[in-house]
Parts: sequence; structure tokens; C-alpha cells
Amino acid sequence: MAPKHRNNRDVTPSAATSTASPSVSGTAPGATTSAVPVAKPIKAPAAATASSKQDWNSVVTNLINHYQDATPQRTKLIDAFMAFLVVAGALQFLYCVLAGNYPFNAFLSGFSATVGQFVLCASLRIQTTEANKSDFPAVSPERAFADFVVCSLILHFFCVNFIN
Amino acid sequence: MRSLLLFFALLWVTAVSAISTTGDRLLVVLDDVADKATYSKFLGDLESRGFKLSYETPKSESLSLFRLGERAYDHVILFPSRAKGLGPNLTPNVLLQFINANGNILLTLSSASSTPSSVISLLAEIDIQLPADRTGLVVDHFNYDAASAADKHDVLLLPPPSSIRADIKDFFGVGAGANEVLAFPRGVGATLGSGELLTPIVRAPATAYSYNPKEQAEVLDDVFAAGSQLALAAAFQARNSARFALVGSAEMLSDTWFDAEVKTVGGKAAKTYNREFAKRVSGWAFQEIGVLRVNWIEHHLNEVGATNESNPGIYRIKNDVTYTISLSEYSWSTWSAFSVPANDALQLEFSMLSPFHRLPLVLDPAHSNPEAAAYTASFKLPDQHGIFNFKVNYKRPFFTNLEEKNTVSVRHMAHDEWPRSYVISGAWPWIAGIFATVTGWLAFCALWMYSAPTDKKKVIKKTQ
Repeated sequence: MAPKHRNNRDVTPSAATSTASPSVSGTAPGATTSAVPVAKPIKAPAAATASSKQDWNSVVTNLINHYQDATPQRTKLIDAFMAFLVVAGALQFLYCVLAGNYPFNAFLSGFSATVGQFVLCASLRIQTTEANKSDFPAVSPERAFADFVVCSLILHFFCVNFIN
Repeated sequence: MRSLLLFFALLWVTAVSAISTTGDRLLVVLDDVADKATYSKFLGDLESRGFKLSYETPKSESLSLFRLGERAYDHVILFPSRAKGLGPNLTPNVLLQFINANGNILLTLSSASSTPSSVISLLAEIDIQLPADRTGLVVDHFNYDAASAADKHDVLLLPPPSSIRADIKDFFGVGAGANEVLAFPRGVGATLGSGELLTPIVRAPATAYSYNPKEQAEVLDDVFAAGSQLALAAAFQARNSARFALVGSAEMLSDTWFDAEVKTVGGKAAKTYNREFAKRVSGWAFQEIGVLRVNWIEHHLNEVGATNESNPGIYRIKNDVTYTISLSEYSWSTWSAFSVPANDALQLEFSMLSPFHRLPLVLDPAHSNPEAAAYTASFKLPDQHGIFNFKVNYKRPFFTNLEEKNTVSVRHMAHDEWPRSYVISGAWPWIAGIFATVTGWLAFCALWMYSAPTDKKKVIKKTQ
């Protein structure tokens, strides 16, 4: 891991220098427009907000599109399950805040079931993502899923025991 | 089995000698044994109640309260002595040892002679003060016997004693007739310390005072005590329930004043209450009245479906428990059911260092009979585990001290004694949360395995 990071760091300065020239050329027109400073300030904010809003929308749609296109089916499934767990955990916590924590072990086991499941899902997602394949050379997606199932079963066993 | 034997032995003892609960050997200490003729009615009454009387003088060589380390007598009456001390056999130390060994003492005083120093020291030990110079005489210029003490006013006529507090049973005045007064001739008044073991039986009337007839005959400059400060008769009960009674006037126990005719200041003729009073004071001092006995104590679990074992050594926190104690009171010759005085309460403490509960014990007719009254209390044990005592601490004036402790352990809840979470409705959302997680996980696993092939194809495509 460590040499790889160092390698990356070594690479970046050269990358910066290579990208430096277009960015400089990009700023050059900006500098020319700001050469007329008196007329600009009134118009500038409106144009800037409109463009930023558009940027934001395009960023979000771009993100969603990219996610829908580039994410494998299984990762999407994991994400949906994790979202479900967040909602379930939040509801249980809200109930504890509103109605009190009387059988405290019940709250702990109910809430920690969602939290634990969320953590296990996150691990599964990390181990099965294509981009991380080089980090886990020994762990195939099947192996990761088997680990996930075993750990989840242990978690459920503990939670059901603890809620008594 | 052992207690049963003891019970029968006790029954046998009570049947044979229907007198004091602690024994019948009574020593009468007189200055001169011939003086017993003066008190013949009083001593005759004692004898007829079953006591075996022995007479001794303080100077007698053979007088010894102890023999081979055991009490030689169960009770002692000390009549006033003209001697300065009571000799080596009746030192205050010996008398205190006698009390410590559960012996009972009835002490009488007289203003005719100065009180022996041995008696003064003994009284000082139990916080009773006598007038200085060991001489005192109680007079009352408003409540004297006009027939015998018209000049000196030193024979006091008192109403029969009543209970000094509303919650104390009246032992000494209940036998009095309507027209009876208590004559207190030429007696010494004492002041009592504030200790809880001391109780006055008869207090002087508000107009009475004590003076020294030898030194203060002309001018009374320094009054020792006056009014109800003066106790004319007093009771002291030690922690071991040994009893000590003080009667300020020995003369009031003499034949002369038993059933005598007296005349009040108003001119009304009256009879004296002295004989009944003497019987009651001596009866109290010699453990014939006001004696309490614990017959048995029982406590058990009071829960539905639980085994009804008696006196278990261990309970659980928040158990429902019933405690019952059976008490008898001895009165002259018989044991009878003890009834708590009207304004008093018998209480049970459930304590670990300090009481967690202090509860009234109520009469339980189901377990009572004419000879024993059962008192019971049912309660829920506190939410605290540890070593606890069921404690009945009933110490009242004139009654035998009761201090009964029964130790039990109170354990915490065992892991399988808690209510299941599905019994508690508040836990249902969290139970639902777990099952939502589990079903969600099952669905996820199913979908994961179902969606496997497409992924693999993509992977293959990408690698290609």
C-alpha cells in the first residue's frame, strides 16, 4: 500500500504541471474580461448564480446518470439495502428519543442490528467494488459474500439473544 | 423438637408455680428481721402469690446475692436501713451485677433515716438523684392527710396513678376504686434523669416540694425539686429486661397504711389504695405483669404459584413477603394474647444498616388464640439486594424489651427472571426493527444471488 501512495504522490506534481498550462490559458480570458472593472460588478452576481444553479443541476444529473450507468447491479443493490438500514435505524432512534428507552436492551439490540448490518454491508461493498480489486487480491466476490452472510448470521443471533 | 420440649417445660413451670416468670426466690433485706411485722400484710401478700421469702439483715455474714457465680435469689426487696452503708455484701457493684444477671430489685426509701451511701451510688448509676445530704422529706400543703398529718403536712394523699402518656398501658392505677387515694407518708422524692429506661410511676402533685427537715426547718432557701419533677415511685427496666422499682416511702407499704381511713383537706373521708398499689408495683418489679414473650416468628413468600416454605433463608428483590410474629403477655399467673395499647403501634422493620421499610404489624385473628396473638405484615421487598433483617424492636415503658432480628439474604433477579421483551409493549418497535433488518437481509441475499449472472457477464466483457 505505502509504496503505491508514494508513487501517486510522485506522480501528482508532474500531472499538475501538465494540467497547469490549460488552466492558465483558461484564466487568461477571465483576466481580459475583468480588464473592464467598472461595468461588470452589477451584472456579474446574477449571471454567476444562474450559471452555478445550472452547474449544480448538471452536476447532480451527471452524477445520477454516471451512477446509473457505471455502477454494477449488485453495488446498487447494496446501496439500496444500506439506505433501507439507515431509515430503519433512524426510526428506531427517533422512537427511543420520543417514547423513552425503557427496555434499554431492546433498543440497543434493535438499533445495533441496523448499525451492524450497515457496517457489514459497507464492508461487502468495499470488497466487491471493481476499483478496489487490487486491494483485496485474495478475496473474491463470492468469498466476500460468504463472509458477509456468516457475520450477518452471527450479528442476528446476538441481537435476538440480547433483546431477550 | 427442642423448642417443643422447652415449651412443655415452660408449661410445667407455669403450672407448678403460678407466679413470676423469672423465679420465686425473694430476698427481703431489713435492718432488723423483727421489722417484718411492720410489713406483714405486704409480705404476706407476696407469700400468698407464691414467692419463697428469705429474710436477712445487711450486716449478716450469710447474706450473698450470688452463690457459685449464679444468682442465689431472683428478686430482692431492700427496706430502708439506718446504717451509713449496706456492708460488703450489698455494695452498689454487687447490686448492679445482680441486675445484669437478670435479678429484680424493689428499693424503698424513708425520710426517717438518711439513705445509705450504697443506695445513693446505685441510684446514681441508673441516673436517679436523691436530695443532698441523703435526707429529704416531701410535703404538700394542699394535698395532705388531715387526719394524721394536720400540722406537718408530710402524709401526701394522691390520686391513684394513671398512665403518664396516652400510649402507655396503665399497670398501677387500674385497680383503684372510686373513693380511693394513695397515701404517701413521710417519703423521699427523687428526680429522674432523661434516660429512656427510666419511667416515673407516681409523680408528686404540683404543690409538693422536697426539703431537708434537719437543716431547712426554719428557712427554705434552696429547693431540691418541686412539683412533678419529684418522682415518688419510679421504674427502671434495664436492656436485659431486669427490673428495678423505687418506692420513695417504705411506710406506705406498712400495715398501718394498707386499707387505712384518711381524711382529705376538704374533709372527705377516703380509703387508701396502698395495698393494691404495693401489689402492682412489686408485681411489676418481680416480673408478674408487663412481661412479653415471643412465641414464634414466621415469614414466607406470598406469591401465587410459589412454594410456601416457612422462614426461607433467601428471597429475591421485589418479592411479596408475609411476616408474622406471635406474642403473649404474662399477667399475674397466666399467659394471654398480647394486645397493643390503643395509641401505640407494633412495627416491623426490614433493614440493612438502616430500615428500608417500617410497617405496622396488624392483628391476624386466623393465627391468634386466647393465649397468643399473632401480628402480621405483608409487603414487597425493596429493589435492593443484600443481607437484610426482619426486625421487631418494641421497647416500651413497663413492658419487656422485645428486639427480634431474623436475617435473610435478598438476591438480585436471575437472568431468566426478567420479563421477556415481547411482554413489554414498549419494546415492540425495536423487535420489529430487528425483524425488518433480518427480512431485509434475507431479501438482499436472495436478490444478490439472483443478480449474479449479469454482473459476471459485464465483468467478462470488461476484461475482454
